[in-house]
Amino acid sequence: MAAIERKGLRVNLSTGEIRGEAVEEQVATDFIGGSGFGIYYLYTHLAPNTDPLSEQNKMLFVTGPLAGTNAQAVSRWLVCTRSPLTGAFARSSCGADFGAWLRFSGYDFIMVEGRAEKPVYIHLSENSCQIKDAAELWGKDTLTTQQWLTERHGKDTRAACIGPAGERLVKYASIASARRTASRCGTGTVMGSKQLKAIAITSRKHMQLHDPEAFKTLVREQVRLMKASKGFHHHTDVGTTTTHDITNPLGMYPVRNFRYGQQDEFERLSGEEYRKLRTGDFGCYSCSSRCGKVHHVPGGPYAGAHSEGPEYESIWAFSGPMDNRCIEATVAADQLCDDFGMDTITTGNAIGFAYELYEKGILTRQETDGLELTYGNHAAMIDLIKKIGRREGIGDVLAEGVMRAARTIGKGAESYAIHVKGMEPPAYEPRGAKCLGFNYATSNIGASHGYGYAPQEVFGSPIPRQVDRFAEEENADIVIFNQNTRAMRELGICCSFASLWGWIPTLLDKLLLAATGIDRCAEPGYLQLVGERIVNMERAFNVRNGFRRADDTLPRRILEEPLHTKGAPGEGQMIRHLDAFLDRYYALRGWTPDGVPSSQKLEQLGLGFVARDMP
Amino acid sequence: MQFHVPPFLKHLTNGVTEVEVTGATLGECLDAFVKRFPLAETLLFDERGRLHGYIEISVNGISAFPEELTRPVREGDTISMMYLMAGG
Repeated sequence: MAAIERKGLRVNLSTGEIRGEAVEEQVATDFIGGSGFGIYYLYTHLAPNTDPLSEQNKMLFVTGPLAGTNAQAVSRWLVCTRSPLTGAFARSSCGADFGAWLRFSGYDFIMVEGRAEKPVYIHLSENSCQIKDAAELWGKDTLTTQQWLTERHGKDTRAACIGPAGERLVKYASIASARRTASRCGTGTVMGSKQLKAIAITSRKHMQLHDPEAFKTLVREQVRLMKASKGFHHHTDVGTTTTHDITNPLGMYPVRNFRYGQQDEFERLSGEEYRKLRTGDFGCYSCSSRCGKVHHVPGGPYAGAHSEGPEYESIWAFSGPMDNRCIEATVAADQLCDDFGMDTITTGNAIGFAYELYEKGILTRQETDGLELTYGNHAAMIDLIKKIGRREGIGDVLAEGVMRAARTIGKGAESYAIHVKGMEPPAYEPRGAKCLGFNYATSNIGASHGYGYAPQEVFGSPIPRQVDRFAEEENADIVIFNQNTRAMRELGICCSFASLWGWIPTLLDKLLLAATGIDRCAEPGYLQLVGERIVNMERAFNVRNGFRRADDTLPRRILEEPLHTKGAPGEGQMIRHLDAFLDRYYALRGWTPDGVPSSQKLEQLGLGFVARDMP
Repeated sequence: MQFHVPPFLKHLTNGVTEVEVTGATLGECLDAFVKRFPLAETLLFDERGRLHGYIEISVNGISAFPEELTRPVREGDTISMMYLMAGG
């Protein structure tokens, strides 16, 4: 039986041209879908050195071959483009249900090109695709926008949209599906630059699978394995609202702009405290875990704040950087970011950066529009989020991200700007979790936990082996394993949590084979090879845009200042051997000492056409 | 039985990574471990003495979930633990 047909949709907002395009069989075999299609089509269609906010930049909205099926936790979607925050490859990942709806529409991806002359949205239904006027939607928050689109196009409609932050080109704007967001890298900013408010898809569930009977049997086995896993039950109960109960005592919870590894009185922010505010839960398409925990603030200064979240990263983003210990303010901050459509991780970092500059006298009260940016002042944190979302006053400076904001502020501010390649790090202290730290340095998208998460050092996972989290170049193989595994998992596109519930090792290849009919999925080691192929192509994308070894670095503070953990392990830790790590990492990757994939490696991965582009 | 302490927790056991414990059940073995390394108690158990929801205990590499604490163990078994992945 032949593999199923795969196809993409290209929408040019400048010319109005809309056309479907079949995925070549060889491309489908070599890249499978999801993260593979994301980098393949971006690399082959986007000219090097394209200005990220220009008409020439392109955006890929990509779903995976398992999306929309009844397999569990595999309906995520990605946005790939050139990032306005970093200038590097951008990949934002999101859950909720847009990925399933994209698959229902019959397409594996939508490539958005050009720029509209006025605000528009794309409406894709079973019989047509149209570019529609979005004047009524421009200025509306992400929730109102989605409600409007559902009212206009019917209950079988789901959308991915930006909020006011994307419209105002805040450099780290996100794209929302329900209350989940594709947050990182400023993909919502690129959407805003194209005057594209939303992509709405109206469709009913129908799927083409290569072998539906085999698929059905595999899903039953997947559900059995998941439900036998303690991880599933724990995650269903608390989501990620207790992770800081683990990372604080380990000294890897960044506090006060990455000066400390543990927050004072962190018990006040515990998962049990969040449980007291919980009013419900939310799940992505076809995932019985429902790990999104809804929180509501019943009284006090933040009465009425209501958010599907915060999850671990956002709990940290609005507690650690500015040393806030009021969880009600954190819920309010999370809601604001979702409404504006802004990445919580970068927003929290930008605010923590401003607090430190204020402490050091680099920013004065006059320059903060009268805000008192003293640690723990959560009211000022809320005001700053609004100012960033509206690009008002100091918010306009911080809306550029810490790297650019530091250049604008001057007076030594760059010394306190915590970022990698222009993107701010998430909720893991790189000196206390060094595999993650080196992943930040070498990740092709900037400092991201989602690019090569290290469960070995945060949770003690023994796969592929246990690690000493303070070791450096000795763990280069682990960083590579985690990055390649991420790319492989996103072929699905599988949820990173659910992928640890016991089914990936035995079922991912079989599910992909049954869904697509691509025989090579069943070859031992083939999916890992595709994962490595993807990381190499992402790296080649960056090399073609000027990135080299010097960009694979970490913030000055991480390299020069010892970590203070307030009694937790890791006191005094620094990243001391970045060069030795890079030497080993590049050698194991088969890259040159300057961080460029070698011709030999690219040929070995079947990327000879990429090798020709390398210096 | 051998209790294998993962590297990221060895600060609780003075750097010891392999500990000999005795008991008829996994719960008894964990009690023996905690008796020797009291700092590990809050790591493993909540204030009511229940195993934390985010701790995964394995025997010979296989998850002991559910009802971990009453699970029988035998001489020669290897006990290990990790946190359940919940980050990000």
